[in-house]
Amino acid sequence: MNWLKNTLGSSVGKKLMMALTGLSFCGFLTVHFAGNLTLFRGKDAFNGYAGHLHSLGSLITFAEFILLSLAAVHVLTGLTLFYQNLSARPKRYMVNKSAGGRTVGSQTMPYTGLLLLAFIIFHIQNFHLADKTHQTIYDIVSNSFAQPEYVIVYILAMIIAAIHVSHGFWSAFQTLGANHPKYMPLIKSVGVVFSLLVGAGFGFIPIYISLIA
Amino acid sequence: MQLDAKIPGGPLTEKWDRHRFELKLVNPANKRKFNIIVVGTGLAGGSAAATLAELGYDVKNFCIQDSPRRAHSIAAQGGINAAKNYPNDGDSIWRLFYDTVKGGDFRAREANVCRLAQLSTNIIDHCVAQGVPFARDYGGLLANRSFGGAQVSRTFYARGQTGQQLLLGAYSSLSRQIAAGKVTMFPRREMLELVVINGQARGIVVRNLVTGEMERHEAHAVVLCTGGYGNVFFLSTNAMASNVTASYRAYKKGAFFANPCFTQIHPTCIPVHGDYQSKLTLMSESLRNDGRVWVPKTPGDKRPPHQIPEAERDYYLENKYPSFGNLVPRDVASRNAKEQCDMGKGVGETALAVYLDFEDAIKRDGRDVIEKKYGNLFQMYEKITADDPYQTPMMIYPAVHYTMGGLWVDYNLMSTIPGLFVLGEANFSDHGANRLGASALMQGLADGYFVVPYTIGGYISGTTPEDVTTDHPAFKEASQQAEIRTRKLLSVKGKRTVDDFHKELGHIMWEYCGMARNNEGLDKAKTMIRSLREEFWENVLVPGGGKAFNQSLERAGRVADFLEFGELMLTDALARQESCGGHFNEAYQTEENEARRDDENFCHVAAWEWAGDDKAPVFHKEPLVFEHVKLTQRSYK
Amino acid sequence: MTKTINITLKVWRQFGPDVKGRLETYQAKNISTDMSFLEMLDVINEQLTLEGKDPIAFDHDCREGICGMCGSVVNGRAHGPEKGTTLCQLHMRHFSDGDTVVIEPWRSRAFKIIKDLVVDRSAFDQIIQAGGYVSVNAGGAPDGNAVPISQENAEKAMDAAACIGCGACVASCPNASAMLFVSAKVSQLALLPQGKPEAAERALAMVRKMDDLGFGNCTNETECEADCPKEISIVNIARLNREYLKAGFLSSVI
Repeated sequence: MNWLKNTLGSSVGKKLMMALTGLSFCGFLTVHFAGNLTLFRGKDAFNGYAGHLHSLGSLITFAEFILLSLAAVHVLTGLTLFYQNLSARPKRYMVNKSAGGRTVGSQTMPYTGLLLLAFIIFHIQNFHLADKTHQTIYDIVSNSFAQPEYVIVYILAMIIAAIHVSHGFWSAFQTLGANHPKYMPLIKSVGVVFSLLVGAGFGFIPIYISLIA
Repeated sequence: MQLDAKIPGGPLTEKWDRHRFELKLVNPANKRKFNIIVVGTGLAGGSAAATLAELGYDVKNFCIQDSPRRAHSIAAQGGINAAKNYPNDGDSIWRLFYDTVKGGDFRAREANVCRLAQLSTNIIDHCVAQGVPFARDYGGLLANRSFGGAQVSRTFYARGQTGQQLLLGAYSSLSRQIAAGKVTMFPRREMLELVVINGQARGIVVRNLVTGEMERHEAHAVVLCTGGYGNVFFLSTNAMASNVTASYRAYKKGAFFANPCFTQIHPTCIPVHGDYQSKLTLMSESLRNDGRVWVPKTPGDKRPPHQIPEAERDYYLENKYPSFGNLVPRDVASRNAKEQCDMGKGVGETALAVYLDFEDAIKRDGRDVIEKKYGNLFQMYEKITADDPYQTPMMIYPAVHYTMGGLWVDYNLMSTIPGLFVLGEANFSDHGANRLGASALMQGLADGYFVVPYTIGGYISGTTPEDVTTDHPAFKEASQQAEIRTRKLLSVKGKRTVDDFHKELGHIMWEYCGMARNNEGLDKAKTMIRSLREEFWENVLVPGGGKAFNQSLERAGRVADFLEFGELMLTDALARQESCGGHFNEAYQTEENEARRDDENFCHVAAWEWAGDDKAPVFHKEPLVFEHVKLTQRSYK
Repeated sequence: MTKTINITLKVWRQFGPDVKGRLETYQAKNISTDMSFLEMLDVINEQLTLEGKDPIAFDHDCREGICGMCGSVVNGRAHGPEKGTTLCQLHMRHFSDGDTVVIEPWRSRAFKIIKDLVVDRSAFDQIIQAGGYVSVNAGGAPDGNAVPISQENAEKAMDAAACIGCGACVASCPNASAMLFVSAKVSQLALLPQGKPEAAERALAMVRKMDDLGFGNCTNETECEADCPKEISIVNIARLNREYLKAGFLSSVI
């Protein structure tokens, strides 16, 4: 398996891992968002959805394990890249100016990534690991978003997620080598639309809940 | 000393084959025991170093730049000739041979040129195999275009970057040999001395341009591929670091210098625009395929080009040379541009320019087609001049571009010092008094890939060189000489900068030894150069020290050599009392102002031997014998 | 139209690889706008020389944008503000009277500073030595037209081959990555049938060498493409990724 270590250990290999895990998270976000839509159909629908998920038993544990592994790979590889990239230029420039290639998303990837990590830990603690014996998941959600600071944190987090995805999406395809004159414009547009959906879609939920709560 | 060109016997087209058979071979297992030094990494040097290593020799390769990929061959734009006859337009090896001899105004060796034409086709094949992205037709086959001095399309090209692509091909082969450990690469080194032991070239002394240390390297043969001396004019299309030093030091060690006055003034360069200017930029000759050269008919006409109606334009090349038109050879095109400007018909602010107009070509083929062919050249022009050649005609003027003269070599490309081989622009062979467009790349690569790898084997197997180390007294002496000269340059501490001297030298050479020369001017220039040289050694200001990275010191050494070499050019120009190709002595012209040769007295190569400081160089003559080409007045009408 | 301008230069001066450097200020007076940027530096150097000071060391050679020798970061941009332009082709008409211009060397762990603006780019040569060639010896090639190459591929290969190896991609990359350089060579040879036999070894070896030399990782910031004087496209980087993954997972090369 030396070849696998060689292949994945290089700069392009690490980027491949970032791309594959990143795209997996895009898939996860889509599913997550679809699930969250049940919120708009009221308390029962949402609790029902959550109940259904939990009834999957070991399957859901397995999925969680996969997600956690993907996250570990994404975060650790990302941090390695971040560190290596910093040390590739020990002495920085006195004057920095973009030639027009960078975007807000591309410049901030490590930082938005770390903020997202912090948010996800908070989010899991807040919702996933919360005590669910005395309250339903819907209660937790509506109690949380009754507090304005929670709403603000969540909205900010979703803006950050949107920024992260705005670069991550097309960048993953580029890393996989899928840059074709016919399809790249489409991939880029889908990336923009997707990041807007992530930002606006997830971001609207706390607002909606806080309004009806 | 009788110069023996060692031209093999037999029919012209069989000479090279026969010679290859007659050359002794080196046992493959023994090749690794022989060290070969190659100085320079351009088309000639890069290809020679790579190929010699492929054969098994141990090669040490030196270059002045930070990487072998930067040699000035990289700037060649238009293309490379080869007698492939792919366009089916009547080309043949014989025609390429004939065109080259005629284009060179009958001052090149028939046997060398014939070999060059024969090898031209192998070069294309090898470069394609290396992955050189030559331009291709829609069907996927190689494309060709036309160049000056030929009526067939035989020029292979990679946009306007042919030199770059061919050089990168040679560089990639070289890199492969470096990785294999067969070539040791020494970048940022400048050769300052040739070491001759028992009459044989056995090594060199180089200055490490980063540390300033003098380094000694020994070998069984030395191959110089150090390019031309066009920068003696200060302003030329050569790269800033191009210089004569390596060749000149070899000359001072006994290698003869042949035809130094043969310099090529390229007709299509961006005109000079200020005294701060550091170099001139060439616009590829391929532009003359589609561009039309013209000036206003009335001297002093200052109207912008679009306001000058067709009837008031003088397409002087098309009118004067109906059969070749804009594609006359370079020397002819240059002299005609000068003639028009001398008549007051020059255009632009300085009136030292003519138009090269693409309006008709754009109308005929569309902007897209023109852009595809010349896009990068047009862009380069616009960057420098801020004029858009799609909208307004280019302004061009001749500039020093190439030097046909160089160290004298025999058919084996060996100089008068046994074991010293000279390749590419650094030698004098093949182009006579004028080089045709797209022939420099051909010659550099032919020499490096296909000639010297054979002939060096012949030399090595025919000699038993004694073992020497770099502790040999000859090495010590050479390295001391280099040290002393360096220290001397630093110790003057005068008041004028190196560039200042170089510019003045350039003015003298351009004025008196440029496109047109006369005896009076050449004599005058000799006196001027001598006094400039004296002043240099009394008044030059070279800052910094010798044991460090010091670019002023590098330039000072080169200019010091140019100051001596310039005089050799003048001496040669004065000795050649005729006009031929790039050497145009005003006293020798036809009624139509074309160069008038004197085949009776000057059908020879002039080879100069150094006789000592402040002594006139000794003249040697290699008569040129033409058995297959009839000497005629060149006509491109 | 020709005019003259006065500008303030702040130039990075550093005597050797391991000593501390700093920005020095110089006044460039009466600079013709027709001058190239390097000619402007020539003028400053002539002044410094006459004043008995050490002239600014900078690499340069052909001065027509093809040798790849020149290059500095000018006001934060590799080769200065003009698109598709090397420093030697940058003309002073793109600056205004009174401008302050900061000139710094390429900065990357893999490119050591030799002096002032001169850096050691031998890392690029080492990457090419790792596999940026077709293993053919002189003499054995078939006829140049033996294998037709579609014009489209020949043109794409040429687009990639136009790389001059100046190092601007590394200098402008926020991560000091050499991916554009490596991808240009890998792409050129991957697009041509002559490069196919060694494609897998080449992609793997060149990427590994690049990593070993201490260049950063590509994060698709595309600054390299924007600053490349030859406008090499990042499509080549995608092709390199493809070639690499193909070689890593599908070939038998380890």
